[in-house]
Amino acid sequence: MSEHIVSSYDEQLDLINSTLIKMGGLVETQLHNSLVALGDKDTAFAEEILRDDNKIDALEKEIDALTYKVIAMRQPLANDLRTVLSALSIANDLERMGDHATNIAKRVANVKINMPDTPVSEIVNMGENVQRMIKNVLDAFVQKSDTLAINAWDLDGDIDELYLSIYRDLLKTMAEDPDTITGCSHLLSIAKNIERIGDYVQNIAEDIHFITTGQALERKSEKRIKWEKV
Amino acid sequence: MKSIKIKADNLNVYYGEKQALFDVSMYMEEKQVTALIGPSGCGKSTFIRCLNRMNDVIDICKVQGKIEIDGNNIYAPSMQVEQLRERVGMVFQKPNPFPKSIFENVAYGPRIHGIAENKSDLEEIVVNSLKKAALFDEVKDRLNDAGTGLSGGQQQRLCIARAISVNPDIILMDEPCSALDPIATARIEELMGELKTEYTIIIVTHSMQQAARVSSRTGFFHLGKLVEVDKTETIFSNPSDQRTQDYITGRFG
Ligand SMILES: Nc1ncnc2c1ncn2[C@@H]1O[C@H](COP(=O)(O)OP(=O)(O)O)[C@@H](O)[C@H]1O
Ligand SMILES: [Mg+2]
Repeated sequence: MSEHIVSSYDEQLDLINSTLIKMGGLVETQLHNSLVALGDKDTAFAEEILRDDNKIDALEKEIDALTYKVIAMRQPLANDLRTVLSALSIANDLERMGDHATNIAKRVANVKINMPDTPVSEIVNMGENVQRMIKNVLDAFVQKSDTLAINAWDLDGDIDELYLSIYRDLLKTMAEDPDTITGCSHLLSIAKNIERIGDYVQNIAEDIHFITTGQALERKSEKRIKWEKV
Repeated sequence: MKSIKIKADNLNVYYGEKQALFDVSMYMEEKQVTALIGPSGCGKSTFIRCLNRMNDVIDICKVQGKIEIDGNNIYAPSMQVEQLRERVGMVFQKPNPFPKSIFENVAYGPRIHGIAENKSDLEEIVVNSLKKAALFDEVKDRLNDAGTGLSGGQQQRLCIARAISVNPDIILMDEPCSALDPIATARIEELMGELKTEYTIIIVTHSMQQAARVSSRTGFFHLGKLVEVDKTETIFSNPSDQRTQDYITGRFG
Protein backbone atom coordinates (compact mmCIF):
# COMPACT_ATOMS: atom_id res chain seq x y z
CA MET A 1 0.00 0.00 0.00
CA SER A 2 1.47 3.33 -1.00
CA GLU A 3 1.60 6.11 1.54
CA HIS A 4 -0.70 9.05 2.10
CA ILE A 5 0.44 12.47 1.02
CA VAL A 6 -0.24 13.61 4.58
CA SER A 7 2.20 11.50 6.59
CA SER A 8 0.49 12.16 9.94
CA TYR A 9 -2.52 10.31 8.52
CA ASP A 10 -0.34 7.24 7.97
CA GLU A 11 1.00 7.62 11.49
CA GLN A 12 -2.53 7.55 12.90
CA LEU A 13 -3.48 4.47 10.88
CA ASP A 14 -0.21 2.76 11.81
CA LEU A 15 -0.90 3.44 15.47
CA ILE A 16 -4.33 1.82 15.21
CA ASN A 17 -2.74 -1.19 13.51
CA SER A 18 0.07 -1.58 16.01
CA THR A 19 -2.31 -1.20 18.98
CA LEU A 20 -4.53 -3.92 17.54
CA ILE A 21 -1.55 -6.21 17.08
CA LYS A 22 -0.43 -5.53 20.63
CA MET A 23 -3.93 -6.29 21.89
CA GLY A 24 -4.03 -9.51 19.86
CA GLY A 25 -0.71 -10.52 21.37
CA LEU A 26 -2.07 -10.00 24.89
CA VAL A 27 -5.14 -12.10 24.11
CA GLU A 28 -2.96 -14.88 22.76
CA THR A 29 -0.84 -14.77 25.92
CA GLN A 30 -3.93 -14.68 28.14
CA LEU A 31 -5.23 -17.87 26.56
CA HIS A 32 -1.81 -19.50 26.73
CA ASN A 33 -1.45 -18.68 30.44
CA SER A 34 -4.96 -19.88 31.21
CA LEU A 35 -4.20 -23.18 29.51
CA VAL A 36 -0.97 -23.57 31.51
CA ALA A 37 -2.88 -22.86 34.72
CA LEU A 38 -5.51 -25.38 33.71
CA GLY A 39 -3.03 -28.07 32.70
CA ASP A 40 -1.06 -27.65 35.93
CA LYS A 41 -4.20 -27.00 37.99
CA ASP A 42 -2.21 -24.08 39.33
CA THR A 43 -4.73 -21.91 41.20
CA ALA A 44 -2.14 -19.35 42.32
CA PHE A 45 -1.02 -18.73 38.75
CA ALA A 46 -4.67 -18.55 37.64
CA GLU A 47 -5.30 -15.80 40.23
CA GLU A 48 -2.36 -13.90 38.87
CA ILE A 49 -3.59 -14.04 35.26
CA LEU A 50 -7.01 -12.65 36.14
CA ARG A 51 -5.52 -9.20 36.57
CA ASP A 52 -4.19 -9.10 33.02
CA ASP A 53 -7.67 -8.79 31.57
CA ASN A 54 -7.63 -5.09 32.48
CA LYS A 55 -4.76 -4.47 30.08
CA ILE A 56 -6.77 -5.95 27.22
CA ASP A 57 -9.81 -3.83 28.09
CA ALA A 58 -7.66 -0.71 28.26
CA LEU A 59 -6.28 -1.34 24.78
CA GLU A 60 -9.78 -1.70 23.39
CA LYS A 61 -10.66 1.73 24.76
CA GLU A 62 -7.47 3.10 23.25
CA ILE A 63 -8.39 1.72 19.83
CA ASP A 64 -11.91 3.15 20.11
CA ALA A 65 -10.49 6.58 20.84
CA LEU A 66 -7.96 6.38 17.99
CA THR A 67 -10.56 5.35 15.41
CA TYR A 68 -13.01 8.08 16.43
CA LYS A 69 -10.21 10.58 16.11
CA VAL A 70 -9.22 9.42 12.62
CA ILE A 71 -12.83 9.46 11.44
CA ALA A 72 -13.38 12.96 12.80
CA MET A 73 -10.10 14.36 11.49
CA ARG A 74 -9.62 12.57 8.17
CA GLN A 75 -12.97 11.29 6.94
CA PRO A 76 -11.34 8.09 5.66
CA LEU A 77 -12.65 6.57 2.43
CA ALA A 78 -12.53 3.26 0.59
CA ASN A 79 -9.87 0.87 1.98
CA ASP A 80 -8.97 3.37 4.71
CA LEU A 81 -12.58 3.50 5.82
CA ARG A 82 -12.80 -0.29 5.85
CA THR A 83 -9.59 -0.50 7.87
CA VAL A 84 -10.81 1.95 10.47
CA LEU A 85 -14.29 0.45 10.82
CA SER A 86 -12.85 -3.05 10.98
CA ALA A 87 -10.40 -1.95 13.65
CA LEU A 88 -13.37 -1.16 15.89
CA SER A 89 -14.94 -4.52 15.28
CA ILE A 90 -11.69 -6.46 15.64
CA ALA A 91 -10.91 -4.68 18.92
CA ASN A 92 -14.37 -5.62 20.13
CA ASP A 93 -13.85 -9.27 19.18
CA LEU A 94 -10.43 -9.37 20.82
CA GLU A 95 -11.93 -7.96 24.01
CA ARG A 96 -14.53 -10.75 24.03
CA MET A 97 -11.79 -13.32 23.38
CA GLY A 98 -9.86 -11.91 26.32
CA ASP A 99 -12.94 -12.34 28.53
CA HIS A 100 -13.34 -15.97 27.51
CA ALA A 101 -9.67 -16.68 28.15
CA THR A 102 -9.95 -15.00 31.53
CA ASN A 103 -13.05 -17.03 32.37
CA ILE A 104 -10.95 -20.17 32.03
CA ALA A 105 -8.48 -18.82 34.56
CA LYS A 106 -11.36 -17.80 36.83
CA ARG A 107 -12.68 -21.35 36.99
CA VAL A 108 -9.23 -22.79 37.60
CA ALA A 109 -8.66 -20.24 40.38
CA ASN A 110 -11.96 -20.79 42.13
CA VAL A 111 -12.66 -24.45 41.64
CA LYS A 112 -10.41 -26.30 43.98
CA ILE A 113 -12.05 -29.55 43.17
CA ASN A 114 -11.51 -32.74 41.35
CA MET A 115 -11.02 -32.32 37.60
CA PRO A 116 -10.40 -35.63 35.80
CA ASP A 117 -7.04 -35.67 34.01
CA THR A 118 -7.94 -37.08 30.60
CA PRO A 119 -10.50 -34.45 29.61
CA VAL A 120 -8.24 -31.72 31.01
CA SER A 121 -5.45 -32.63 28.65
CA GLU A 122 -7.90 -32.89 25.73
CA ILE A 123 -9.17 -29.43 26.53
CA VAL A 124 -5.66 -28.02 26.81
CA ASN A 125 -4.92 -29.54 23.41
CA MET A 126 -8.02 -27.92 21.92
CA GLY A 127 -7.01 -24.62 23.50
CA GLU A 128 -3.57 -24.82 21.97
CA ASN A 129 -5.17 -25.27 18.57
CA VAL A 130 -7.25 -22.15 19.12
CA GLN A 131 -4.16 -20.31 20.26
CA ARG A 132 -2.53 -21.18 16.92
CA MET A 133 -5.63 -19.86 15.16
CA ILE A 134 -5.21 -16.57 17.00
CA LYS A 135 -1.59 -16.41 15.95
CA ASN A 136 -2.52 -17.17 12.34
CA VAL A 137 -5.25 -14.58 12.17
CA LEU A 138 -2.93 -11.96 13.66
CA ASP A 139 -0.34 -12.82 11.02
CA ALA A 140 -3.05 -12.43 8.40
CA PHE A 141 -3.87 -9.02 9.86
CA VAL A 142 -0.25 -7.87 9.94
CA GLN A 143 0.29 -8.94 6.32
CA LYS A 144 -3.23 -7.89 5.23
CA SER A 145 -3.42 -11.30 3.61
CA ASP A 146 -6.80 -12.59 2.54
CA THR A 147 -5.38 -16.08 1.97
CA LEU A 148 -3.98 -16.35 5.49
CA ALA A 149 -7.24 -15.01 6.89
CA ILE A 150 -9.28 -17.65 5.09
CA ASN A 151 -6.87 -20.36 6.24
CA ALA A 152 -7.38 -19.24 9.82
CA TRP A 153 -11.15 -19.18 9.29
CA ASP A 154 -11.15 -22.74 8.02
CA LEU A 155 -9.32 -24.07 11.08
CA ASP A 156 -12.42 -23.46 13.16
CA GLY A 157 -14.04 -26.57 11.68
CA ASP A 158 -11.46 -28.72 13.53
CA ILE A 159 -12.13 -26.87 16.77
CA ASP A 160 -15.83 -27.54 16.53
CA GLU A 161 -15.10 -31.24 16.04
CA LEU A 162 -12.76 -31.35 19.00
CA TYR A 163 -15.35 -29.57 21.09
CA LEU A 164 -17.99 -32.11 20.16
CA SER A 165 -15.76 -35.03 21.05
CA ILE A 166 -14.77 -33.46 24.39
CA TYR A 167 -18.40 -32.81 25.12
CA ARG A 168 -19.24 -36.46 24.52
CA ASP A 169 -16.34 -37.66 26.68
CA LEU A 170 -17.35 -35.42 29.55
CA LEU A 171 -20.93 -36.66 29.43
CA LYS A 172 -19.63 -40.20 29.51
CA THR A 173 -17.28 -39.54 32.43
CA MET A 174 -20.07 -37.93 34.44
CA ALA A 175 -22.42 -40.82 33.73
CA GLU A 176 -19.83 -43.36 34.82
CA ASP A 177 -18.73 -41.54 37.96
CA PRO A 178 -21.17 -39.05 39.52
CA ASP A 179 -18.41 -37.75 41.82
CA THR A 180 -16.90 -36.02 38.79
CA ILE A 181 -20.07 -34.12 37.88
CA THR A 182 -19.07 -30.80 39.46
CA GLY A 183 -15.57 -30.85 37.99
CA CYS A 184 -16.79 -31.97 34.58
CA SER A 185 -19.44 -29.29 34.35
CA HIS A 186 -16.75 -26.67 34.95
CA LEU A 187 -14.70 -28.33 32.25
CA LEU A 188 -17.71 -28.17 29.92
CA SER A 189 -17.84 -24.42 30.43
CA ILE A 190 -14.12 -24.10 29.84
CA ALA A 191 -14.37 -26.05 26.61
CA LYS A 192 -17.25 -23.80 25.58
CA ASN A 193 -15.11 -20.71 26.31
CA ILE A 194 -12.40 -22.05 24.03
CA GLU A 195 -14.87 -22.90 21.31
CA ARG A 196 -16.25 -19.34 21.43
CA ILE A 197 -12.75 -17.90 21.04
CA GLY A 198 -12.47 -19.87 17.80
CA ASP A 199 -15.70 -18.24 16.59
CA TYR A 200 -14.27 -14.79 17.27
CA VAL A 201 -11.16 -15.70 15.29
CA GLN A 202 -13.50 -16.37 12.39
CA ASN A 203 -15.07 -12.93 12.83
CA ILE A 204 -11.64 -11.34 12.65
CA ALA A 205 -10.77 -13.36 9.56
CA GLU A 206 -13.99 -12.05 7.99
CA ASP A 207 -12.98 -8.49 8.83
CA ILE A 208 -9.58 -9.00 7.21
CA HIS A 209 -11.30 -10.33 4.11
CA PHE A 210 -13.49 -7.21 4.08
CA ILE A 211 -10.51 -4.88 4.51
CA THR A 212 -8.56 -6.48 1.69
CA THR A 213 -11.36 -7.12 -0.82
CA GLY A 214 -14.23 -4.82 0.11
CA GLN A 215 -16.55 -7.84 0.09
CA ALA A 216 -18.23 -9.74 2.88
CA LEU A 217 -16.82 -13.27 3.25
CA GLU A 218 -19.35 -15.81 2.06
CA ARG A 219 -18.09 -19.12 3.28
CA LYS A 220 -19.53 -22.21 4.87
CA SER A 221 -17.76 -24.66 7.11
CA GLU A 222 -17.20 -27.96 5.36
CA LYS A 223 -17.53 -29.78 8.62
CA ARG A 224 -20.91 -29.30 10.19
CA ILE A 225 -21.18 -30.45 13.75
CA LYS A 226 -23.56 -33.33 14.21
CA TRP A 227 -25.17 -32.46 17.52
CA GLU A 228 -28.07 -34.79 16.95
CA LYS A 229 -25.64 -37.68 17.42
CA VAL A 230 -24.75 -36.61 20.96
CA MET B 1 -32.50 2.38 -14.41
CA LYS B 2 -32.93 6.14 -14.88
CA SER B 3 -33.12 7.40 -18.44
CA ILE B 4 -29.96 8.73 -19.99
CA LYS B 5 -29.84 12.46 -20.62
CA ILE B 6 -26.31 12.95 -21.89
CA LYS B 7 -24.04 10.47 -23.59
CA ALA B 8 -20.41 11.12 -24.54
CA ASP B 9 -18.88 8.73 -27.01
CA ASN B 10 -15.13 8.45 -27.58
CA LEU B 11 -14.55 12.09 -26.91
CA ASN B 12 -11.07 13.37 -27.81
CA VAL B 13 -10.22 17.00 -27.20
CA TYR B 14 -7.10 18.89 -28.26
CA TYR B 15 -5.75 22.34 -27.47
CA GLY B 16 -3.53 22.80 -30.50
CA GLU B 17 -1.06 19.92 -30.40
CA LYS B 18 -1.83 19.02 -26.84
CA GLN B 19 -4.46 16.38 -26.23
CA ALA B 20 -6.57 17.14 -23.14
CA LEU B 21 -9.13 14.31 -23.28
CA PHE B 22 -8.59 10.73 -24.46
CA ASP B 23 -11.50 8.56 -25.62
CA VAL B 24 -13.87 9.63 -22.90
CA SER B 25 -17.17 7.74 -22.94
CA MET B 26 -19.75 8.10 -20.23
CA TYR B 27 -23.44 8.74 -19.76
CA MET B 28 -25.26 10.99 -17.35
CA GLU B 29 -28.69 10.16 -16.02
CA GLU B 30 -31.65 12.48 -16.25
CA LYS B 31 -32.59 14.47 -13.13
CA GLN B 32 -29.64 13.13 -11.22
CA VAL B 33 -26.44 14.73 -10.01
CA THR B 34 -23.28 13.39 -11.61
CA ALA B 35 -20.00 14.41 -9.97
CA LEU B 36 -16.65 14.63 -11.74
CA ILE B 37 -13.52 14.44 -9.64
CA GLY B 38 -9.79 14.28 -10.32
CA PRO B 39 -6.57 16.22 -9.82
CA SER B 40 -6.18 19.69 -11.35
CA GLY B 41 -5.48 19.66 -15.05
CA CYS B 42 -6.99 16.21 -15.62
CA GLY B 43 -9.62 17.60 -18.01
CA LYS B 44 -12.79 17.97 -15.92
CA SER B 45 -13.49 21.53 -17.05
CA THR B 46 -12.61 20.64 -20.62
CA PHE B 47 -15.12 17.81 -20.44
CA ILE B 48 -18.05 19.80 -19.10
CA ARG B 49 -17.29 22.68 -21.46
CA CYS B 50 -17.87 20.22 -24.28
CA LEU B 51 -21.40 19.60 -23.01
CA ASN B 52 -22.60 23.06 -24.03
CA ARG B 53 -19.92 23.68 -26.66
CA MET B 54 -18.25 26.39 -24.61
CA ASN B 55 -15.00 25.12 -26.09
CA ASP B 56 -16.11 26.47 -29.49
CA VAL B 57 -14.97 29.91 -28.42
CA ILE B 58 -11.40 28.69 -27.85
CA ASP B 59 -9.74 28.87 -31.26
CA ILE B 60 -7.13 26.19 -30.73
CA CYS B 61 -9.61 23.76 -29.22
CA LYS B 62 -10.62 20.82 -31.36
CA VAL B 63 -13.31 18.34 -30.31
CA GLN B 64 -13.66 14.87 -31.84
CA GLY B 65 -16.25 12.27 -31.02
CA LYS B 66 -19.90 12.51 -30.19
CA ILE B 67 -22.00 13.99 -27.44
CA GLU B 68 -25.69 13.25 -27.45
CA ILE B 69 -28.28 15.09 -25.40
CA ASP B 70 -31.64 13.37 -25.52
CA GLY B 71 -30.23 11.30 -28.37
CA ASN B 72 -29.20 14.25 -30.57
CA ASN B 73 -25.57 14.85 -31.42
CA ILE B 74 -24.81 18.37 -30.22
CA TYR B 75 -21.80 18.55 -32.53
CA ALA B 76 -23.95 17.88 -35.61
CA PRO B 77 -23.83 20.76 -38.13
CA SER B 78 -27.56 21.29 -37.74
CA MET B 79 -27.24 22.00 -34.02
CA GLN B 80 -27.98 25.60 -33.09
CA VAL B 81 -25.43 26.52 -30.48
CA GLU B 82 -27.48 29.38 -29.02
CA GLN B 83 -30.37 27.01 -28.38
CA LEU B 84 -28.01 24.45 -26.92
CA ARG B 85 -26.65 26.97 -24.42
CA GLU B 86 -30.20 27.83 -23.43
CA ARG B 87 -30.81 24.17 -22.59
CA VAL B 88 -27.47 23.67 -20.89
CA GLY B 89 -26.78 26.32 -18.28
CA MET B 90 -23.49 26.82 -16.52
CA VAL B 91 -22.30 28.00 -13.10
CA PHE B 92 -18.64 28.77 -12.55
CA GLN B 93 -16.14 28.49 -9.75
CA LYS B 94 -16.09 32.18 -8.94
CA PRO B 95 -19.53 33.75 -8.71
CA ASN B 96 -19.62 36.17 -11.63
CA PRO B 97 -22.75 38.34 -11.45
CA PHE B 98 -22.99 41.11 -14.02
CA PRO B 99 -22.36 44.59 -12.63
CA LYS B 100 -26.08 45.20 -12.66
CA SER B 101 -29.03 44.92 -10.30
CA ILE B 102 -30.11 41.60 -8.87
CA PHE B 103 -33.22 41.79 -11.00
CA GLU B 104 -31.30 42.52 -14.21
CA ASN B 105 -28.87 39.68 -13.56
CA VAL B 106 -31.72 37.20 -13.74
CA ALA B 107 -33.76 39.06 -16.36
CA TYR B 108 -30.86 39.27 -18.79
CA GLY B 109 -31.10 35.75 -20.20
CA PRO B 110 -34.86 35.57 -20.70
CA ARG B 111 -34.68 38.98 -22.35
CA ILE B 112 -31.96 38.19 -24.90
CA HIS B 113 -33.45 34.78 -25.62
CA GLY B 114 -36.85 36.40 -26.07
CA ILE B 115 -38.44 34.13 -23.51
CA ALA B 116 -40.62 36.72 -21.75
CA GLU B 117 -43.70 38.04 -23.59
CA ASN B 118 -44.03 41.20 -21.55
CA LYS B 119 -42.88 42.95 -18.39
CA SER B 120 -45.03 41.00 -15.94
CA ASP B 121 -43.94 37.75 -17.58
CA LEU B 122 -40.36 38.76 -17.04
CA GLU B 123 -41.01 39.66 -13.42
CA GLU B 124 -42.59 36.31 -12.84
CA ILE B 125 -39.62 34.51 -14.37
CA VAL B 126 -37.19 36.49 -12.21
CA VAL B 127 -39.12 35.81 -9.01
CA ASN B 128 -39.53 32.13 -9.80
CA SER B 129 -35.87 31.70 -10.67
CA LEU B 130 -34.80 33.45 -7.47
CA LYS B 131 -37.17 31.22 -5.52
CA LYS B 132 -35.85 28.06 -7.15
CA ALA B 133 -32.34 29.22 -6.34
CA ALA B 134 -33.42 29.66 -2.70
CA LEU B 135 -32.43 33.32 -2.80
CA PHE B 136 -35.73 35.18 -3.13
CA ASP B 137 -36.50 35.58 0.57
CA GLU B 138 -33.09 37.11 1.19
CA VAL B 139 -33.28 39.68 -1.64
CA LYS B 140 -36.97 40.36 -2.26
CA ASP B 141 -36.78 43.85 -0.75
CA ARG B 142 -33.74 44.92 -2.70
CA LEU B 143 -34.07 43.56 -6.22
CA ASN B 144 -32.65 46.79 -7.60
CA ASP B 145 -29.47 46.63 -5.54
CA ALA B 146 -26.29 45.60 -7.29
CA GLY B 147 -25.77 41.82 -7.60
CA THR B 148 -22.13 42.32 -6.80
CA GLY B 149 -23.09 43.64 -3.34
CA LEU B 150 -24.31 40.23 -2.20
CA SER B 151 -22.25 37.77 -0.14
CA GLY B 152 -20.27 35.12 -2.02
CA GLY B 153 -22.82 32.40 -1.33
CA GLN B 154 -25.69 34.67 -2.36
CA GLN B 155 -23.85 35.68 -5.53
CA GLN B 156 -23.44 32.02 -6.41
CA ARG B 157 -27.14 31.39 -5.88
CA LEU B 158 -27.81 34.46 -8.03
CA CYS B 159 -25.73 32.84 -10.77
CA ILE B 160 -27.78 29.68 -10.35
CA ALA B 161 -30.98 31.75 -10.63
CA ARG B 162 -29.54 33.32 -13.77
CA ALA B 163 -28.75 29.88 -15.19
CA ILE B 164 -32.25 28.52 -14.56
CA SER B 165 -34.04 31.68 -15.75
CA VAL B 166 -33.85 30.50 -19.37
CA ASN B 167 -35.42 27.16 -18.55
CA PRO B 168 -32.55 24.77 -19.15
CA ASP B 169 -32.72 20.97 -18.77
CA ILE B 170 -29.14 20.68 -17.68
CA ILE B 171 -27.00 22.69 -15.28
CA LEU B 172 -23.23 22.40 -15.39
CA MET B 173 -21.37 23.47 -12.26
CA ASP B 174 -17.62 23.85 -12.32
CA GLU B 175 -16.40 23.84 -8.71
CA PRO B 176 -19.34 26.01 -7.65
CA CYS B 177 -18.44 26.00 -3.96
CA SER B 178 -14.70 26.34 -3.99
CA ALA B 179 -14.89 30.04 -3.13
CA LEU B 180 -17.58 29.60 -0.47
CA ASP B 181 -17.55 29.02 3.28
CA PRO B 182 -19.04 25.79 4.72
CA ILE B 183 -22.45 27.34 5.47
CA ALA B 184 -22.82 28.83 1.99
CA THR B 185 -21.59 25.51 0.60
CA ALA B 186 -24.21 23.60 2.57
CA ARG B 187 -26.91 25.93 1.17
CA ILE B 188 -25.80 25.25 -2.39
CA GLU B 189 -25.69 21.50 -1.73
CA GLU B 190 -29.18 21.62 -0.24
CA LEU B 191 -30.29 23.59 -3.27
CA MET B 192 -28.84 21.00 -5.63
CA GLY B 193 -30.98 18.39 -3.93
CA GLU B 194 -34.06 20.45 -4.81
CA LEU B 195 -32.91 21.38 -8.30
CA LYS B 196 -32.31 17.80 -9.35
CA THR B 197 -36.05 17.12 -9.27
CA GLU B 198 -36.23 19.34 -12.37
CA TYR B 199 -32.75 19.46 -13.85
CA THR B 200 -29.92 17.16 -14.76
CA ILE B 201 -26.86 18.40 -12.89
CA ILE B 202 -23.18 17.83 -13.58
CA ILE B 203 -20.81 19.09 -10.93
CA VAL B 204 -17.04 19.28 -10.91
CA THR B 205 -15.71 19.31 -7.38
CA HIS B 206 -12.45 18.92 -5.52
CA SER B 207 -14.23 17.88 -2.37
CA MET B 208 -14.72 14.12 -2.08
CA GLN B 209 -17.22 14.71 0.68
CA GLN B 210 -19.20 17.02 -1.53
CA ALA B 211 -19.27 14.54 -4.39
CA ALA B 212 -20.33 11.84 -1.92
CA ARG B 213 -23.06 14.02 -0.46
CA VAL B 214 -24.69 15.38 -3.60
CA SER B 215 -24.24 12.93 -6.45
CA SER B 216 -25.63 9.56 -7.44
CA ARG B 217 -22.82 8.77 -9.88
CA THR B 218 -19.21 9.86 -9.87
CA GLY B 219 -16.56 9.83 -12.57
CA PHE B 220 -12.85 9.98 -11.80
CA PHE B 221 -10.59 11.64 -14.38
CA HIS B 222 -6.84 11.33 -14.46
CA LEU B 223 -4.44 12.67 -17.11
CA GLY B 224 -7.26 13.29 -19.56
CA LYS B 225 -8.73 9.82 -19.21
CA LEU B 226 -11.91 8.77 -17.52
CA VAL B 227 -10.47 6.14 -15.20
CA GLU B 228 -13.69 4.97 -13.64
CA VAL B 229 -17.33 5.96 -13.39
CA ASP B 230 -19.76 4.22 -11.09
CA LYS B 231 -22.36 4.69 -8.43
CA THR B 232 -21.02 7.29 -6.01
CA GLU B 233 -21.32 4.88 -3.13
CA THR B 234 -19.14 2.35 -4.94
CA ILE B 235 -16.53 4.92 -5.93
CA PHE B 236 -16.06 6.04 -2.34
CA SER B 237 -16.36 2.69 -0.61
CA ASN B 238 -14.86 0.20 -2.99
CA PRO B 239 -13.60 1.58 -6.32
CA SER B 240 -12.31 -0.94 -8.84
CA ASP B 241 -9.29 0.98 -10.10
CA GLN B 242 -6.20 1.42 -7.94
CA ARG B 243 -5.73 4.99 -9.25
CA THR B 244 -9.21 5.94 -8.04
CA GLN B 245 -8.50 4.41 -4.65
CA ASP B 246 -5.18 6.23 -4.37
CA TYR B 247 -6.74 9.55 -5.32
CA ILE B 248 -9.76 9.47 -3.03
CA THR B 249 -7.76 8.24 -0.06
CA GLY B 250 -5.15 10.97 -0.50
CA ARG B 251 -2.32 8.79 -1.77
CA PHE B 252 -1.66 10.34 -5.14
CA GLY B 253 2.02 11.02 -5.66
N1 LIG C 1 -7.74 27.25 -23.13
C1 LIG C 1 -6.76 26.33 -23.04
N2 LIG C 1 -5.70 26.38 -23.85
C2 LIG C 1 -4.72 25.46 -23.78
N3 LIG C 1 -4.70 24.44 -22.92
C3 LIG C 1 -5.75 24.34 -22.06
C4 LIG C 1 -6.83 25.26 -22.08
N4 LIG C 1 -7.71 24.92 -21.13
C5 LIG C 1 -7.20 23.80 -20.53
N5 LIG C 1 -6.04 23.45 -21.10
C6 LIG C 1 -5.19 22.28 -20.73
O1 LIG C 1 -5.98 21.11 -20.78
C7 LIG C 1 -5.72 20.27 -19.68
C8 LIG C 1 -7.00 20.03 -18.92
O2 LIG C 1 -7.39 21.24 -18.30
P1 LIG C 1 -8.77 21.41 -17.55
O3 LIG C 1 -9.85 20.83 -18.36
O4 LIG C 1 -8.91 22.84 -17.18
O5 LIG C 1 -8.54 20.51 -16.25
P2 LIG C 1 -9.30 20.51 -14.84
O6 LIG C 1 -10.57 21.27 -14.99
O7 LIG C 1 -9.49 19.07 -14.53
O8 LIG C 1 -8.37 21.15 -13.86
C9 LIG C 1 -4.65 20.95 -18.87
O9 LIG C 1 -3.40 20.40 -19.23
C10 LIG C 1 -4.74 22.40 -19.28
O10 LIG C 1 -3.49 23.03 -19.20
MG1 LIG D 1 -11.24 22.99 -13.92
